[in-house]
Amino acid sequence: MLCLKSACLPVILGIAFVALAGWSASASLAAADDVIRFGAPLPLTGPLAPEGIKQQQGYDLWAEQANKAGGISIGGKKYKVEIVYADYQSNTPRAVQTTEQMITQDNINFLFGAFGSGAAKAASTVSEKYKVPTIAAAASSSQVYDQGYKYLFGTYTPNDTLTAPLTQIIRSQAPDVKKVAILARNDLFPLAIAQEMEKSGKANGLEVVYFEKYAIGTLDHSATLSQIKSLAPQWIFITGYINDLLLIRKQMVDQQMKATVVTMIAGPAYQDFIESAAQSAENLTSASWWHPAEQYAGTDIFGSTSNFVKLFHEKYKSDPDYGQASAALCGALFQIAIERAGSLDKDKVRDELAKLDIVTFFGPVKFGANGQINSLEPPVFQIQGSRPIVLFPQAIKQGELKLGVN
Amino acid sequence: MWVAQVLINALVLGCLYACIAIGFSLVWGVLNVINLIHGSFIVLGAYLAWGLYQSLSISPWYVLVIAAPLFFILGYLLQRLLLNRVITAPVLVTLTLTFGLDLILNNAMIYFFKADYRKLTLSPPMGSISLFDVVVPVDRLIATASALALTGVLYLVLRRLRVGRAIVAVRLDRDAAILMGVDVKSIYAIAFGLGAALAGCAGVLMALIFPISPLTSSTYLGKAFVVCVLGGLGSVSGALAGGLLLALVEGVGSTFFGPSHATTLSFALLIVFLVVRPQGLLGRKGFE
Repeated sequence: MLCLKSACLPVILGIAFVALAGWSASASLAAADDVIRFGAPLPLTGPLAPEGIKQQQGYDLWAEQANKAGGISIGGKKYKVEIVYADYQSNTPRAVQTTEQMITQDNINFLFGAFGSGAAKAASTVSEKYKVPTIAAAASSSQVYDQGYKYLFGTYTPNDTLTAPLTQIIRSQAPDVKKVAILARNDLFPLAIAQEMEKSGKANGLEVVYFEKYAIGTLDHSATLSQIKSLAPQWIFITGYINDLLLIRKQMVDQQMKATVVTMIAGPAYQDFIESAAQSAENLTSASWWHPAEQYAGTDIFGSTSNFVKLFHEKYKSDPDYGQASAALCGALFQIAIERAGSLDKDKVRDELAKLDIVTFFGPVKFGANGQINSLEPPVFQIQGSRPIVLFPQAIKQGELKLGVN
Repeated sequence: MWVAQVLINALVLGCLYACIAIGFSLVWGVLNVINLIHGSFIVLGAYLAWGLYQSLSISPWYVLVIAAPLFFILGYLLQRLLLNRVITAPVLVTLTLTFGLDLILNNAMIYFFKADYRKLTLSPPMGSISLFDVVVPVDRLIATASALALTGVLYLVLRRLRVGRAIVAVRLDRDAAILMGVDVKSIYAIAFGLGAALAGCAGVLMALIFPISPLTSSTYLGKAFVVCVLGGLGSVSGALAGGLLLALVEGVGSTFFGPSHATTLSFALLIVFLVVRPQGLLGRKGFE
């Protein structure tokens, strides 16, 4: 009895654990033949968790649809889709380690890129080393794609494709706008897009009266906003993620700041931003890479944009935003490339991805020589009546720009 | 006029910082425990305010009355059952224990509330008042007044009540306090309970102003840490002075050097204080 209490119990537990691990390993090996494994390193906890979870929803929706249709077809045989998730806790160095671990230990076939330009760029060094085709669902900065990599693709067009049409719309429809103030989160994408805005503003004859960065995690922006208010810009352009922008918007209202135009990127594209900001979201302008109002008839698994929106709504009871749609698109593109390659050979799939020239629910997809998509026309929109109303492109325009943000 | 605005902003924010830090300062000063769970207590208090407002429409001002005893009991039990077991161990042990507890509480909050950001939006909103172009949001103003009231109550407890005097006595000289018949373990638990209660109440007030997420706990903890070093440990006036100084440095720094350097400046000041005046603005030498 003494043996049971002191030494034997841990031994028995240990044997049971080893047996269980062995059984689960053999079970997964038995199934591995009919499964294609996609690695998805994501920030599921930490400051970027809201964005990471959105990306996960997109992948899950695609995997569910692909498996419902029997899986991915290669040479007449159907392969089920399995997504291997790993949480890198919003920590970029850990995203690199996680990506390497997925390739060397988890035996994934293909990879989805980490969230955001910074982490996607860092992790791409590993996937390139092992020649694993990777599609980044949330990386737009050109610095990610200027490394000469062959195996990295991205579904967001460069940042200037967002700021250029926005500036032109404001210039043509709000002639009183002469001065712009830019405030950016000190992070790769938010800063890069703010710099594009600065360029675009100057090129269109606007005076940039303020350009500053705020540190990640800043809670109080009152001093910064007071200074911007004193400069009386007609256009206030602020970048960051949902939390930053909600906080800044609330503090702008507190300070009774008013402007002809207030643009925020990338919060207003998300439904949770619109719900949280409530009345203060009204008339905010923004731009993103996709919008549920688009009407594309695609050849991918989702077919049309409206079908994607319907399927998403059925699964998550909310409307999809561009982050979720882009993640689902990455899966759908892999599916097409694998089926066209007729093989799981990484080089063949990579070549098929590079050759893609198709229309999807997300829009036309064609990658440039650097791997970044160059076929999209990102929509500009404005929150009107608690709904994002598309102002551009003309083909899907839903309303006119309204001036004045209180 | 915007200079006046920056100063008013700093004054209001400084009081809020003091409110964030005062419980942390009390626990650090009296127990010599760097309580890393403090930030998560603040966030939990914010969730309490948010949850009660969303589900039962209970105003955050009333939630203060509920949060204080609830968090006191939570803190008291934590100290009695866990921390008192290692309180005499080197500071690294208590630091590790509170770090572990913080991980558990913070991840539990991520699990139950998700990492999404919530916002307590009063209906109707309280708006702002303006005087000669200087604008102050009413919710911040009331939160500031409440923060000052809380620090005032703590001051009175420490000065006037028997238990408060015992806390001060333990802080000044633990061994002498034991010789005078003070039940130190009980005083430790009460001090920790008070610290937790203040953190919970601070969370209720922060819910009115800042978004609520488990991810903000480290920011609150960082602010509390800096305020304590600047103001001095364990004293009410020290926390207030530290909070005001930090807010002023951040406000002025942000205005003249850009917002990305506001934090850099505040941490540079922290290092200067650690080197030149480790006891803080109002702390007494020997208690740093």
